[in-house]
Amino acid sequence: MDALCRICCIPAELLVKVPGLRPVIRMCCTSVGQKVLMALTGLALCGFLVTHLSGNLLLFAGEEAFNAYAEKLHSMGALLKAAEVGLLATFLAHLGLAISTTAMSRRARSKQYAQNESKQEAFAIPNGGASNWMLLTGLGIGAFLVLHLVDLKFQVRPDLVYPSASQDGTNNAYAKVKLVLSSPVSFVAYGVALILLGIHLSHGVRSALQSLGVSHPKWNKLIEIGSMVFAWAIALGFICVLGWVVLNS
Amino acid sequence: MSGETINLTLRVWRQDGPDSQGGFENYQLNGVSTHMSFLEMLDVLNEQLIESGQESVAFDHDCREGICGTCSLMINGQAHGPDKATTTCQLHMRRFNDGDTVTIEPWRATAFPVLKDLVVDRGAFDRIISAGGYVSVNTGNAPDGNAIPIAGAKQEVAMDAAACIGCGACVAACKNASAMLFVSAKVSQLAILPQGQLERSERVISMVSQMDDEGFGSCTNTSECEAACPAEVSVTNIARLNREFLRASLCGRE
Repeated sequence: MDALCRICCIPAELLVKVPGLRPVIRMCCTSVGQKVLMALTGLALCGFLVTHLSGNLLLFAGEEAFNAYAEKLHSMGALLKAAEVGLLATFLAHLGLAISTTAMSRRARSKQYAQNESKQEAFAIPNGGASNWMLLTGLGIGAFLVLHLVDLKFQVRPDLVYPSASQDGTNNAYAKVKLVLSSPVSFVAYGVALILLGIHLSHGVRSALQSLGVSHPKWNKLIEIGSMVFAWAIALGFICVLGWVVLNS
Repeated sequence: MSGETINLTLRVWRQDGPDSQGGFENYQLNGVSTHMSFLEMLDVLNEQLIESGQESVAFDHDCREGICGTCSLMINGQAHGPDKATTTCQLHMRRFNDGDTVTIEPWRATAFPVLKDLVVDRGAFDRIISAGGYVSVNTGNAPDGNAIPIAGAKQEVAMDAAACIGCGACVAACKNASAMLFVSAKVSQLAILPQGQLERSERVISMVSQMDDEGFGSCTNTSECEAACPAEVSVTNIARLNREFLRASLCGRE
């Protein structure tokens, strides 16, 4: 957090005068507070994934339905732009907090053990828990996002010929999705990224709830199973879309 | 149980002082009784070292009954050795086989600097407790034990958290060297009981702040601490600490 905290703390004297900001800033300068923010931004991104997947599932309903949805979405104008900016800010905050808390943890153990074994029975392989791979899977997903935005948001992949807008000004989003996913580079990269997403969420969702203090002996098993089901439902949902589009190309 | 005695190769971390480099030394120890505790085995090693004119291995120990939390040691990469819910002093040599090589390291955390060989300075835990892990009783005689009614179920939960012996295995086992299980146990045991209510908000803020200042890592909810804890303190306490911290930060007095 230190880097972020320093950036945040330079104008802290001014910021703390803003009503309501003081306790939030103070909280964010602690390890526990950062984990809370990490959880909130992570769950917000999960919310985005749900809406994104819901939209993508319309691909199963056919070209017309999907294009109508895309048109409707893009007709929202300023609202959509605001949502995009918010999403980018949430993603960057999540990434920044990840780097800051990881740096804090690296500093906390400057010398590693010569031998280190888990006492948890659930781990069948060394470092088998998804929790050990959060930064790497997260960075992998981040790299995929860059490709995804280049592919479909900015539509500037040099090796692809994007269909031009029709005469009435509407875009054929359905054709573009098919075009991008028919590229082997995208297909492999998207497939790998979605598996990484599943691994990331399988620890992330449960961990976020724990960081927010959501824990009770009566409900913990349900939270654990529910988080796992959610994680893989999201990842497999996108993988189904990917597979279906490629098979129908 | 295997034979009555076993021969072992011990790979022990030796370090002269806090600023020394340190490194592993191999020692051959023959005829170790399987009925010995791990610390008794180290006593035998030290006798052997002293007899041959070498310096004995420094390690922490006190009650040798699994209560005080003084013993430590990373044994073959596991805090307090391979058994669950067991401190190093309660680990017995029957858990090892003839011919085994046993690697013994100190707790490794920036907040727990090595003082000598296998001894680390766990003063960081004391400073966290000083920051708020107490209740203030400023005047009068000691209150009557049963003057404040506390539901049995609450006592049990508080007692489960109070079972923490402050040995530092949670920090040692955590990949981030995070002290969240220790701090959460100490915050929980008082947050649950009526006596702890008066300083509830200040306590959690001060203890978390001290924990950060000591240089412990952040919690990634891996639960390795829970698996390594000899007192079986649950990570449910960490969720409670998070709740207490949120409550104090957002709703506590300035």
